[in-house]
Amino acid sequence: MKTVAVIFGGRSTEHDISIVTALASVIKPLELTKQFHVEPVYIAKDGSWYWDQKLKDIKLYQSGEIEDFMRKAPKVHLLFDEGLTLVKSSQFAGRKMYKKIDVVFPAMHGTHGEDGELMGVLEMANVPFVGCGLAASAIAMDKVLSKQVTKAEGILSTPWTWFYSSELSHSPQKILDYVKDLNYPLFVKPAHLGSSIGITRVEEPKMLMNALEVAAHYDDKVIVEQGVQNLIEVTLPIMGNESPQPALLEQPLTKPEDYFDFDTKYMQGGKKGKTGPKQGAQGYSQIPADLSKELYKKAEELGTSVYKALGCEGIARVDMLIDSKTKEVYFNEVNPLPGGLYAHNWRVAGVSSVDLVTKLVDLAFERHAGKQEFTTAFSTSYLKQF
Amino acid sequence: MIKSILSVYGLRYPATIVYMLQSVEYQVEPYLKWYWRTADFGKVAKRRKLERTRAAKMLLLAVTAGMLIEVMLGAFLLVLGLTGRLTGGIWFGLALLLAYPVLWAHLAVLPLVLGRYFIVKPFFGLHIQRSKSTFAKHKGVKIAVAGSFGKTSMKEMLLTVLTEGKKVAATPANRNVSISHAQFARSLKGDEDILIIEYGEGAPGDVARFSRTTMPQIGIITGLAPAHLDKYKTLTRAGQDIFSLADYLGDKNIYVNGENEALKPFIKKSHVLYGLHGVDGWSVHNVKVGIHGLSFSLKKGEETLNLKSKLLGRHQVGPLSLVASLASKLGLKPEQIEKGIAKIMPYEHRMQPRHLSGAWIIDDTYNGNIEGMRAGLALLKELPAKRKIYVTPGLVDQGSESAAIHRQLGGYIADVNPDIVVLMQHSVTTDIISGLEEGGYKGQLVIEQDPLNFYNNLEHFIAAGDAVLMQNDWPDQYN
Repeated sequence: MKTVAVIFGGRSTEHDISIVTALASVIKPLELTKQFHVEPVYIAKDGSWYWDQKLKDIKLYQSGEIEDFMRKAPKVHLLFDEGLTLVKSSQFAGRKMYKKIDVVFPAMHGTHGEDGELMGVLEMANVPFVGCGLAASAIAMDKVLSKQVTKAEGILSTPWTWFYSSELSHSPQKILDYVKDLNYPLFVKPAHLGSSIGITRVEEPKMLMNALEVAAHYDDKVIVEQGVQNLIEVTLPIMGNESPQPALLEQPLTKPEDYFDFDTKYMQGGKKGKTGPKQGAQGYSQIPADLSKELYKKAEELGTSVYKALGCEGIARVDMLIDSKTKEVYFNEVNPLPGGLYAHNWRVAGVSSVDLVTKLVDLAFERHAGKQEFTTAFSTSYLKQF
Repeated sequence: MIKSILSVYGLRYPATIVYMLQSVEYQVEPYLKWYWRTADFGKVAKRRKLERTRAAKMLLLAVTAGMLIEVMLGAFLLVLGLTGRLTGGIWFGLALLLAYPVLWAHLAVLPLVLGRYFIVKPFFGLHIQRSKSTFAKHKGVKIAVAGSFGKTSMKEMLLTVLTEGKKVAATPANRNVSISHAQFARSLKGDEDILIIEYGEGAPGDVARFSRTTMPQIGIITGLAPAHLDKYKTLTRAGQDIFSLADYLGDKNIYVNGENEALKPFIKKSHVLYGLHGVDGWSVHNVKVGIHGLSFSLKKGEETLNLKSKLLGRHQVGPLSLVASLASKLGLKPEQIEKGIAKIMPYEHRMQPRHLSGAWIIDDTYNGNIEGMRAGLALLKELPAKRKIYVTPGLVDQGSESAAIHRQLGGYIADVNPDIVVLMQHSVTTDIISGLEEGGYKGQLVIEQDPLNFYNNLEHFIAAGDAVLMQNDWPDQYN
């Protein structure tokens, strides 16, 4: 039986969402496969790492007992010893507990986890891990970089501009000059955050500065995008390494003015103004999206092109914007680790949660095995010169 | 081991033994067999919990009070022994303290036995005698339904359809023994056109006795399969008992399920067979089976009935044909029959379809016989699906034939060739696997140790386009 370390939590505004993804969408189905032994690894909001079977219980976080747990529990050390080994004090006689990890399943969202930092650590450890690698994660989580890369590949986006947050305080007029060529409505976004945190829809110039300040408060880079007329918003989960397979195009059922903010996505069951449903955004969307056959195919192809252009592997979700009148499809952004793995969409596409996590682990092993075939070091006489 | 022994001294132990009694419907023998088979009383109630009915509450109170009194008495004797005021007090006291769980587990059945012989039996006897007179005087057509399986469904189908044009009364739910018939007789108003009475065979002589009491004019025999073999011993004896209904009717007006192999040795020329072909001159045409139900036409001479039902499976064609045929014979108009057939809904946990996460789950967890399992599997084979998943713990109560029946079940499953077969781990699992292997099954086989964990997490295993057939459940008393 393979040992899977599921890493979740983290120093991110999406810390709590990561817990739900890990516990409900990763650990549960992994355990149901009976093929894996799961070791939960929790990264607290202060960046400390903990490893304990108790961390699989959602009540620990809901009740606030996690604070008490963290006060008493030993922190985790990582050992890079032909792979990854978790190490922690047994708290008795100075003994340490070791657990060799066969594969890591990151379930992190947002900064310091989904953005490539964790993947860098795992690549250093040379341990197989699920999902996009360091480079793809870093590019995908930077809305500016991802637009630049896809633009180089000839993939269409709506007009956009960007600036460093520090520029806003030093020379706000310069920023306003950047933006003046874009048509309203605009979307102002922190470049690295997900779950719609810090995003503002700007209808008119007088609202712009406030929106820029909000985004700059969250991130060191801010992107400003021109809105799409006659908007149909769609998202496409994709799985695979060299041969990516799309799930189904999903269409969030919100009005253009009710774009998906954090509250709509996670607190109101995906429907703005409703307080009833408890599920997330997945509870209020249409799968597959209601598009003509041609438009559906066009969006599916664009999504897959983006996935390849950014070098995504394992799993990712590509968000797109469609002008229903001109039938133009625009790339919006990529989420390299979609919340809940977008298991609801995969299920409709014919992939059960259990099969989804099993396939993702298989893909992690496949990529890792492929990388082992490359030569990464060789002998030279260079040192003998000194 | 120590934890298992100590489980009899746990606080939940009195509720556990009352739960065990309740689960076996307060029958002494199965309860005692289960009690002595149980190693750990902390792990008895897996499927359900004790239902706090009046009887259960009274029994729980009596058992708990009895245990407390015994513990206090034991402690008192122990103290007397320790202080030298009673010779042997220590040993008597310890014996009472240690033995109270076992003693009260057995004393709990005493009021049941005494009550059954001195109160229930004479009281029931009186009622049954009175019901005989009620049935004799009643002017309505009396239809008796007997068989090892399918009788409750048949009764419900008849009730639903005949009610479209007649005043009909039927024995409620699956209450099908003499006292249930007597209670049914008391509930009658006397103006009913038709009475439908279900016969639940349990021991040799039952069906003959029910026939003499209820005096039916029409008899339906739905099927024969291994059931209650602890009393009947052989399938032949069970068949003979069921066919005593035909004997009572002089082998006239007897309708027999022609699709059931086990019934064939008992069939006589005068019996009318129903099945996929039709019944009593009605022929079946244009059968269409799907996840939403089935449809077919019945033709007899110039007359045609176009029937649509929400019941699942081709095996329902025979029973529905019989119901339509009898309804026609009893004077219902074609439109009334068609309307009635359309009103029949799948019964709870019997081939009941549910839509979950884009997949179809067919809940057949009340199916407890090999013929029913075969019919469900035939439906799974016929349904279009991306993936087919079959889930079962096997069958309980199959007597000495259990191994052979479960190998047979394995063969039936292999024939359907589902993508995934999930077997809940029980004593019969190896026999089902043998049958699967003999049948050349090549799909994915999953052995699940914890059925509840599987059922509760079903949504994680399925995806849109899947068809999942879940057959039978394994009650706690068979663990």
